[in-house]
This record gives sequence, structure tokens and C-alpha cells, in this order.
Amino acid sequence: MAPTTTPPARALPARESSLFKEVLHNYEDRQLKKGLKAAETILKKFPNHGETMCMKGLILTHMGRRDEGFDLVKQGVRHDLTSHICWHVFGLVQKGQKNYDEALKSYTQALRFDKENMNILRDAAHLQTQLRHYDQLVETRHTLLRLRPQLRQNWIALAVAYHLHGNLTESKNILAQFERIVKNVPDYDIELSEVLLYHVRVLEDLGEYKEALALLDTHAKSRMIIDRVAIMEFRARLSSKLKSEDAQQAWQGLIEQNADSYDYYRGYLSNRGIDLDALTDETRVQALQTLRHFAEQFSRAAAPQRLALAVAAGDEFKELLEPYLRTRLAKGIPSLFTDLKALYRDPSKRDIIESVTHALLDSLAHAPDAPCPSSIDPTMYVWTLYFLAQHHSHLGRHDKALALLDTAIAHTPTLPELYLFHGRVLKRAGDPYGAARWVDQARLLDLQDRFLNARCGKYRLRAGLVEEAVEVFGLFTKKDAPSPSQDLEDMQSLLYLIEEADAHRRNGNYAMALKRYLAVQKVFDDFEDDQFDFHGYSVRKFTVNIYLNLLKWEDTLRSHPAYVHAAIEASRILVRLHDDPSIANKASSQSHLSEAEKKAKKKAKKAEKKVQEEAKKASANGSNEDKGLEAGPPKDDDPDGAKLLQAPEPLERAAKLLKPLSTLAKDNVQAWAAIYDVAVRRKKYLQALQALQRAHTLDPASPDLHTRLVDFAQRWKALNDKIAENATTVVSSSLAKFIPEDVPPERFNSQYLQAHSTRGDAILGAAKASQLLGAPREEVEAAVFGVLNPDVALQLETAIAVDAFLAEIQSPRVDEFRAAAKAKFPLSTVFAPHAELPALRKSAIGLAVAEVNAEKEEFIS
Amino acid sequence: MNIRLVRVDDLLGMQACNLQNLPENYTLKYYMYHALTWPQLSYVAEEDGKIVGYILAKMEEDLPDDDEAHGHVTSISVLRSYRRLGLAKRLMLQSQEAMATVYKASYVSLHVRKSNRAALGLYRDTLGFTVRDIEKAYYADGEDAYAMRLSLKDLAR
Repeated sequence: MAPTTTPPARALPARESSLFKEVLHNYEDRQLKKGLKAAETILKKFPNHGETMCMKGLILTHMGRRDEGFDLVKQGVRHDLTSHICWHVFGLVQKGQKNYDEALKSYTQALRFDKENMNILRDAAHLQTQLRHYDQLVETRHTLLRLRPQLRQNWIALAVAYHLHGNLTESKNILAQFERIVKNVPDYDIELSEVLLYHVRVLEDLGEYKEALALLDTHAKSRMIIDRVAIMEFRARLSSKLKSEDAQQAWQGLIEQNADSYDYYRGYLSNRGIDLDALTDETRVQALQTLRHFAEQFSRAAAPQRLALAVAAGDEFKELLEPYLRTRLAKGIPSLFTDLKALYRDPSKRDIIESVTHALLDSLAHAPDAPCPSSIDPTMYVWTLYFLAQHHSHLGRHDKALALLDTAIAHTPTLPELYLFHGRVLKRAGDPYGAARWVDQARLLDLQDRFLNARCGKYRLRAGLVEEAVEVFGLFTKKDAPSPSQDLEDMQSLLYLIEEADAHRRNGNYAMALKRYLAVQKVFDDFEDDQFDFHGYSVRKFTVNIYLNLLKWEDTLRSHPAYVHAAIEASRILVRLHDDPSIANKASSQSHLSEAEKKAKKKAKKAEKKVQEEAKKASANGSNEDKGLEAGPPKDDDPDGAKLLQAPEPLERAAKLLKPLSTLAKDNVQAWAAIYDVAVRRKKYLQALQALQRAHTLDPASPDLHTRLVDFAQRWKALNDKIAENATTVVSSSLAKFIPEDVPPERFNSQYLQAHSTRGDAILGAAKASQLLGAPREEVEAAVFGVLNPDVALQLETAIAVDAFLAEIQSPRVDEFRAAAKAKFPLSTVFAPHAELPALRKSAIGLAVAEVNAEKEEFIS
Repeated sequence: MNIRLVRVDDLLGMQACNLQNLPENYTLKYYMYHALTWPQLSYVAEEDGKIVGYILAKMEEDLPDDDEAHGHVTSISVLRSYRRLGLAKRLMLQSQEAMATVYKASYVSLHVRKSNRAALGLYRDTLGFTVRDIEKAYYADGEDAYAMRLSLKDLAR
């Protein structure tokens, strides 16, 4: 379809034509100033020459004048719609903007006018992979291979394309063909080795185990495959699948090579018909025997011993436990409890652990004031106390845990782990301020340790002390960053962003909370973008197996708990905003930046000014500096998040955030609740109801589901402009499955309450529902106070949620509740009267950072 | 406690582990670059799905012509709560073995802070590294580094 003759507007006379070639060369060599000048010379005479306009726009983009450049490129395209150069440039610039959809469209256009342009084809292939258009990818890779069959990567890329498209058989054929014709391979060629391992994997995925093993063995023998671990792993797996006699030997070999890998023991046992997750009496005996044997053979490895503990039961368990515990307590291993925690799912093992460890403690106990007798190992003593503290706290016995820790600290006051855990127990018991103070003390014991620093920061955030937390984090962030927060965000610290966002949310600072949650969203956008360069790179490097795993990981990227949490919480704020737009105005007027934040703002402004001045200097020189096609990170023009909060269409933004969750977090009730909240307000009633149905399948008794069912019933009843006839019927009949038509919602609510009357969270849910149904406040309050009944197993979380709810409905009984909750959770401080808060907050900080520095200087000088 | 070869799914956990322990941090793409260029060299220690320790390693590129192929440890770290298990040593040994057998590395190099006595003890006393050089102000905060080296000649087969 391409024109056979150059259109008149494109053709240039000899002088300008050679100038244009110069422009292209200059661009390729990144001689940007020269290229710009040459382009401008052409344009003086031919101002509408599309191709030159595009090249000039491209050069301007590289020089940092991105908006100008992009506009010019667009104009250039309009002036020459059949030029492959114009479309190629357009695609390049769009790719640089990460607008992959549009970029691919431009590249596809470019290819119409220059079907066999290798550069364009390659870029198109990368875009097709990024966008998961695998059918198009196969075609493109075919073309590339046809054009240059001598290039090895073109073969591999085509095989990969077929694989991605789901055609493993064709992938296999391409690889086989490639291996037949490849020549001149040096010894120990890592690239060919990787290709062969990929081929083996394809055969395994196809279920052709015999062929896979044959290929593996042939090439392992000839030393064409040189990755020994991979060879052994493939061999073991394939032999097992073929039920070959060699399998056992193969697994044994793997264990010898790495006795610390659980997967290898599992594989060995599985090969003998023993499934560690589904043991019978007979297989239990066999498994134990095998593991004991391995434990003897590999005495330094913990894996066989630990697996044996999982397998053994009763007296045998006790017999294996004692030496396991003793060695590790004597060595002082901090992770011992975490190591054994999984065993607690079995109550008999949990009890055995408790009795054995207490017996051990009794044998080590001595008078607290006297020095440790020589017969007693002080290390073992302290770590046994530490272990038992963790044990009891895990089982909810926080008082006992604290008592054990106090003994330990009196014995060994310099062990940070003791203070850390003391803080953790207080956190669990509802005293975030005490928790922060204890963790701070741990930090002060070793100021060189970033781990302790990070914990301290986290605990301050949990106590709502954002400024103080950032100050502590700042001791380890880059000194030349605009602020500690910026550095942590640049380094993609999801932990920090989430914890700070949560802290702001609890403090009622929705603007900053939203800002941080959206920063998490941006980080995940960057993670998704990171794979792009590997579409070309990994094919060039031939590391195909892990490249395919990368793509698979990227496909479910947003199932990560950090994204899910950020999306749900951000959407909740946006829904609040929709329900009460005045929140946005409150935020901006209340923009009380803390001292630290004001300082950071000043510093950032200064830094920005400096950058601007340098940029001005640079463009004044018309420097050749190539700023690339991608814009740098934008400056932060919304430091307190107020603008974000005021941005329009909160519901649409929320829907976008939540979209991935319907597939990637489909077993998460909170996700469906959040999806409901947005859908129902967008008047998408079917979608809203479907969300409730999904939640119901997962947890029919969920209070979050219950309140929303009532909410939906209310909204549906009040709907004036009903949706389309048939949709109405669907919705009504679906709703009737949850709330039968003849049951008024009030009765539905009280039925729910009756069915779950000992669950604190259900009582709260029913109270919230009755509030939605218009019950008088006193009645709602009375209902919610039901969580304090003695037969209700009240969780700390629920009590906190009730407290928040009472505040929201502006109940005068808040203080009454808080006093009662404090009685239920005696170690807590979260229910302290508001007047006590300033003192509590102050007590959370041991020494201010400045004071610590002053002390340090005293020592040094 | 599972010690095994790095998988793509581990990279975020490695990054989180690194951010908690060390002031030298990297964006995720740098971890991807290591894993997708030298997939045999990085190992993790994993417990119940959580990455509690890792070694991020590579083969040195940009070699002067006369230099032999050698491996380099970009970063190695274990969470404080998982120390005393010999994890760092085990991670290092697995990585070294791979460097020698897959890439025929003659030696492995790394940098360590002059003041980091614990790490020095591990590398020098437990693993047999020797100090090659002092690189002044190697770290962003100005601290000097020991450039250390360990020969792998007896590992290669």
C-alpha cells in the first residue's frame, strides 16, 4: 500500500537532501547542537518538511525541551502521513513517555511504509511483548528471522515468541532447527548452554520427559551445558517424573551439593512416594528414618533436623526437640522461636515445647541478685528467657512475657533483642507509645545498626509520630537527598511508604495518607515498566528461562500485599472524599507542615532552584548533553498532598486503583468490599452486587459484607431512576438471595446479630448497619457497647474500631467506652483520655536525635 | 530456613531485606539486571516465604584486557533477627561455587567498610579473603573500603 514514488512534499533538492542525511547522522552520534542547526537550515527553506520537523522535534526532546519537541513531532507527522521516518520518530518519543499503546500504533504505521526496517521491527517486538500482544510478536519475530537468519538471537527470540503465545510445540521445533545449524561454538559457551537449558525446559513443559532427559544428558556429557546446579535439578525432576531408578541418586547429589535446601529433601522423599504435606502412619516412619539419616550425614545443616521435627510426633518429637533446642539456645540464636512457630499449629507439639523449655529454664534459674553460678551458661539462660517470652506473647500471655523479659534484661542489659521484643509485646497489648520507647532503647544500644533504626522508625509510625520517625530514618538515608522521605521513596521502600501512609490515615491526615498510598501505586507502575529493557536484553544474553519467569511475575505484579493494601486504603479515602468533599478544603487550610517538613521543603526549593539555574546555563550554552528520551522524575509540587485530595473524579481514580484486584486479589474480602463501595457510588449496581456475591462466597459471616448488604438494600429501595428493566430484575432477584424480599432489613440485621452474638466485630457490624437503617444514636450506641459483654471474645482491633466508630457518630459515650476498654486491656494506652496523649507521645521518644548526637560528640572529643 | 538460587519472585524481598540492613540501596531494576544477566550467581535464604538473607553477585564486566574473569559480590546481607546461623557463609559458598564452575572465575572480589569488624571477620577469617587495597571514600558517607579478594582456582573443575 506504500506509495511507489516519493510524494512531492517529501522530496528535497540535492543540498537539503544531503543536509537531511547529516541530521540523521548527527542524531545517531548524539551531536545534538549540530543536528538542530542542520534541521533548522532545512526548515528555513522547507518549513513544512514533515521528516525534518520530526527529526528536529526528536533532537529537542533529547535536549530536554520535551513539550516543544513533542508538539513539533506531532506536527511533522501530520505533514507527512506516509513517511516511515515520521512514524518511527513519533513512536520513539511516545515510547520514551511510556505510552506503549500509542507507540506501538505509531510503529505499526511506520512498518506499513517500510516493512523490512530492522530497527522498527525490533522496537515493535519489544512493545508487543510489553503489551502482551503475543500473536503480533510471533509475526514480527518471523520477519526478523527471515531478514537475518545468521543472527542467533533471532532464532531464540522466535522460539520465545511462540512460547509466550502458548505454542510450545512450535517453540521446540525452532530450537531444534537452530541447534542443527549452529556452528563454531567455543567450549564452555554460556550462551548456548542457556539455550539448551531452555530447550530442556520446553520439553519438560510439553510433558516430553524422556526427550528432555535425553537432551540434557547428551549435552551435559559433551559439556555444552555448563550450569551444574541446573543440570542436577533438571535431572532429578525429570527422573522422578519418569519414575526412573536414577532419580534417588540425582536427589542425593543435589542434597550433597546444598544440604540447606528444603526443596531437595522434599524432592527426595516425594520420589519415594512420601508427601511431607500428607503423611500417613507408614510414610511418617519412613520419612523420619530418612531425615535422621540425612541429619547424621550432614550434621552442619539445619534443614533435615527441622524437617524431622515437623514429621515426628509424641515422644519421638520430644526426643528430637530437646537437643535441637539446647544447641540453639546455647548458641544464642535469635530466630529460634520464628523457626519453631510453624509447629504450634499442632497443640500437642506446642505444649511439649512449652514444658521442655520451662524445664530447661528451671534448671538454669538462679537468684536474680547473685552473679551467675559457674555451672550455668549465662547465654543459654538469657536466650531461654527470650524464647519463652516470645512463646507466651504469641499465645496472648503478655504479662508473663514481660515478666520474663524483665528478668532477662536485669541479667543482660546490653542485648538489643530483649528491648526490641519488649516493645513488640507492648504493641500487641495496645501500648504503641511504650512500644516505641522500648524499641528506641534497643536502637540506642547499637547506633550503627540500620535494622534497629528501621524498627524504631516503624514503631514511631505505629504510634502516629511521623515527624520523629522520619527524623530517625534520616540517620541512614542519603545525605544529599532532598529529605529522608524522598530518599526512601526513590529507593522504593514499600515498608516505609505503607507504614507512613497508615500513620497519616490514623491521624486523620487524609491528604498525606493519599499521597503516600499513591506513591506506592507509582512504585508498582515503575516495577511494571522495568521489564521493558529486558525484552531485548535477555534475548541478546540468551538467559531465556529466567526472562520467561520475569514476564510471569510481572503478569501478577499487583497481587503484592503492598499494592493491595495501598489500593484499598486509597480508595477508601477517595470514597470519603466523594461522600464529603469538604474534607479536601479542610486539608489545605490545615496544612501545618512540621518543622522538619518545612526545612525539607526549603531544602527542596533550594535544590530545585539550583537545578533550574544549571539548566538555564546549559541551554544558554546549547550544550550537547543528551538527556535521553525519558523525562526525569517530576519535582514535587504538592508536598502536603492537598492538591491530590482536590483532584477531580475521586471515584474514577479509585476504580482504576482497584481494577487489578478483581483478578489478583480475588480471595480478599476487603478488596471486594472496597470494589463494592466504589461501584455502588458510580451507580454500577450489577458490579456492586457481584462484588458482594464474591465476598459472600469467601466469608458469608463477614461483618464488612453484612453492613454493605444492608447498605445496598437501602440504596436500591431509594433508587428513583431505576436502571434498565432486565437489569433491575437481575439485581432484585440476586439481592433476594441474601435478603429475602419478605424480610425487612431491620429483621435481617437482628438475625445476623443473633447468629454471631459472641463476635465483637459482628456486633460492631450490626450496629453500623442499624445506623445506616436510621436507628436513633442511643440505640446504636447501646448496641455497640455489647462488645463489652463478658461472653464476647473482644479483640483489641475491634475495640479500637468501636472507639473510632463512636467518634465518627459523635457519641457522648466515647470516654465511657474508652474507660471500659482500658479495663479489658490493662496494658493498653490507646484508650487513654485525650488529655493524656501529649505526655504519652513525649514518652515514646527516649532521647531526641540531636541529644544523641551531642552525647556522641562528647565521647569523641 | 531454605537456602536456594534466586527466583524472580524473590527480588522484592531481597530489596526489602537490603533496605532494612544496609545504607547502600538499589532500585528493583538493578536486582533484575543481576538476576537476568547471571541467573546462577545470586542466592537467598528464605523462611516461610520471607527473604531473610541474600547474596547479590555478578561477573565483573569492563575488564582491562589482561585481567582474568572474576566474580564480584555487589551486596550481601542477613536480617539481624536471623544472625548466628551461618547464613552469610553458606550464601557466599554457593555463589562462589557457581562463579567458578559456570563462569570459570579465577577469583571473587568485594568491598567492605573499614569499620565493619563483623563482616571483616566473616570474609577474612571464615572464608579466606585477603585485603587487596584500600579504596578511600568508597562509600557515599565518605568511609573507606577494603577491597578484598579470594582466589577460586581450587574450586574450578
